[in-house]
Amino acid sequence: MEKGGFRVDPVTIDTTKIKITKKQPVTALDKLNDTGLISTVLAAREREGMILFSTIDQVFNWARLSSLWPVTSGLACCAIEMMAVAMAHHDIARFGMEIFRASPRQADLMFVAGTVTKRMAPRVKQLYEMMPDPKWVIAVGGCASTGGPYHESYSVLKGVDLIIPVDVYIPGCPPRPEAWIYGVIQLREKIKNQGYGAKWGLNK
Amino acid sequence: MESDELFINMGPVHPSTHGVARFKLRMDGENIKECTPVIGYLHRGTEKIGEMKTYLQFIPYTDRLDYISAFPNNYAFVKAVEELAGIEVPLRAEYIRVLTMELNRIINHIVSIGSLLMDLGAATMIMWGFRERENALQLFEMLCGARMTFNYIKPGGVREDIPDGFMPKLNEFLKDMEKRIDDYEQLINGNEIFHMRMKNIGVINAKDAVNYGWTGPTLRGSGVDYDLRKYEPYSIYPDLDFKVCVRNEGDSYARFIVRMDEMKESLHILRQVVDNMPASKEISSAEYGIAPMTGTPTGVSTYFPRIFTPPAGEVYSRIEAPKGELGFYVVSDGTTKPYRVKIRSPSFCNLTAIPSLVKGLKIGDLIAAFGTIDVVLGDVDR
Amino acid sequence: MNAAEELKALLPGSVISTGLQLNKPMAVIKKEDLLKAAGKAKDIGFDHLSVITGIDYKDHFEVIYNFFSYSKKQNLALKVNLDHDKPEVETLTSLWNGADWLERETFDLVGIKFIGHPNLIRILLPDGWNGHPLRKDYDMNTEQFVTIGENGDDVVSPDGTNLLRRK
Repeated sequence: MEKGGFRVDPVTIDTTKIKITKKQPVTALDKLNDTGLISTVLAAREREGMILFSTIDQVFNWARLSSLWPVTSGLACCAIEMMAVAMAHHDIARFGMEIFRASPRQADLMFVAGTVTKRMAPRVKQLYEMMPDPKWVIAVGGCASTGGPYHESYSVLKGVDLIIPVDVYIPGCPPRPEAWIYGVIQLREKIKNQGYGAKWGLNK
Repeated sequence: MESDELFINMGPVHPSTHGVARFKLRMDGENIKECTPVIGYLHRGTEKIGEMKTYLQFIPYTDRLDYISAFPNNYAFVKAVEELAGIEVPLRAEYIRVLTMELNRIINHIVSIGSLLMDLGAATMIMWGFRERENALQLFEMLCGARMTFNYIKPGGVREDIPDGFMPKLNEFLKDMEKRIDDYEQLINGNEIFHMRMKNIGVINAKDAVNYGWTGPTLRGSGVDYDLRKYEPYSIYPDLDFKVCVRNEGDSYARFIVRMDEMKESLHILRQVVDNMPASKEISSAEYGIAPMTGTPTGVSTYFPRIFTPPAGEVYSRIEAPKGELGFYVVSDGTTKPYRVKIRSPSFCNLTAIPSLVKGLKIGDLIAAFGTIDVVLGDVDR
Repeated sequence: MNAAEELKALLPGSVISTGLQLNKPMAVIKKEDLLKAAGKAKDIGFDHLSVITGIDYKDHFEVIYNFFSYSKKQNLALKVNLDHDKPEVETLTSLWNGADWLERETFDLVGIKFIGHPNLIRILLPDGWNGHPLRKDYDMNTEQFVTIGENGDDVVSPDGTNLLRRK
């Protein structure tokens, strides 16, 4: 190679050559889905749970996902992007996160934004335990997901999911505000599919 | 009336401590008798990582030290390496570097003033400030693709040239910023509550400030007339014309006004840089080539050699970062990785004086004094 | 004559050699006379202590002090060589208040003891951490478990015994 950087050629995809293959139906349900008629006993029993619990679940889930209140646990550089996401240009208040509560007892979402060091880890865990149920955790950035660029350091915890359960991971260093909002929307989708129906495997 | 001593912990998770700083306070009622800062909750081991990576691979780690203004951190390390290796930098690259650093100085002071006022209770300033910050971050994104951690200044020059739409947008930003700074002054400077909370709080005289190792706007607020850009100049600062902003009172209000004045001086410097930018296309040292690369705004990008070995030796070089004097002590033993990198960060050295600054004050005054010292925990803990 | 030679002229017994730290004058001082030399440097006019660096070469330690003078606008660096088994040197906190935390950090990360320091405990790593990370023989794979003890301070153990809630 001559003295130079690497060459990046534009990629061309010929869409006429792509073929979409369909799976052949194997089970009874698959064959039923193919025909479009849902009237057998099997399918009706599946939908029974949905009818009983569906509306209450939907109402609760809608209430929970529309007004998530985060707790301010910004640790490092991603905290500055948290401030940028909360300000007027990319507004996270339109998704319901109107106020960042200072006390974890009044919050139900924790953004772990920044590097979690071994010295700070027991405090993050204590913060998580102080939040009342139902609660969710979003790990923002490379450092909170897996240790990030500081993976080889002696004093960095390699990902916050070693100590608390995490629902959504947002990669980036730091993630753009648009990526942040995408992660929040993924969490809302996850909350929408929760409830008694989903726990008993009925809300498909 | 004598009461028992109260022991309060202003913990690492606190909305006003600008990150994860902790204060152990011994109080007599509402007055502080003794304050001990405890730091190290964000210690990531950057100096040890510096011994495991090559010079070029270490530059992204310098971005994350003072993450609000990342260009001066890049430049301080690169200046040390260039002095060690004896690399000449072309003029246009120096102008681009100063442009980015002064723009970073403006947005750093905006965040500092905004978060100070948010701690004191006035949330308007931070909302207005972040609106300007978005414009500046869009300019940076046009230039190098990232909003906060740039990795743009490398030994010998900069990574890419200025794209086409950049200059008109920058001129628009400069015109806009002047009006906005006048708006901020009108909002804050005459406010009576602000005066009552900031005047005569956290007073320190010039001799004590130098003894504690203070540098930057905090030192200039106590009357010492010293600015590294003027008296030990580097890069193209000898050709630029600007004033050094100094105040004599030494209290929090003086430090705040120094920062407002510095924003205006930075605008003045930026206008001179834009007017005198050389028209050549060399953005890095002649011994490195320029390679065509698709995907960049101008179609070319600098090729920095992967094997870069400066001669053995040690150097200490310092620059005037927005928070104070940022210095890098680099020891090289002739291989591709440094032997030791020591970072002298302004926030760490400015924070040592907090115990003596707040003796006898109330907790609200601690927050006001701590806000004007402008500490970022990534810089303190490294 | 530059500042290092000036210092040599004033204290001929303490200064071992003078040289250059790339472009700043540097003087190598005997370990026992550091406080005297630093005091003399402060008298000449070097009132700003910029940084204290500790370096671990495999057979000896070095501590380097960088000074600056606001009145004369000059730089000066002082270097001290220490043994590898017993790295101890006098503290400068009686002359500069800012040396307090810089020396604590050097003790924490490199392991150099400063005699006479009022409060020489760890500052960036929790109390009880094993080893000094910036030494060249630090083992990066040692496990350290940190929990919160009483008063909010940290308790570190290498084998996880502090993680049990009931002993």
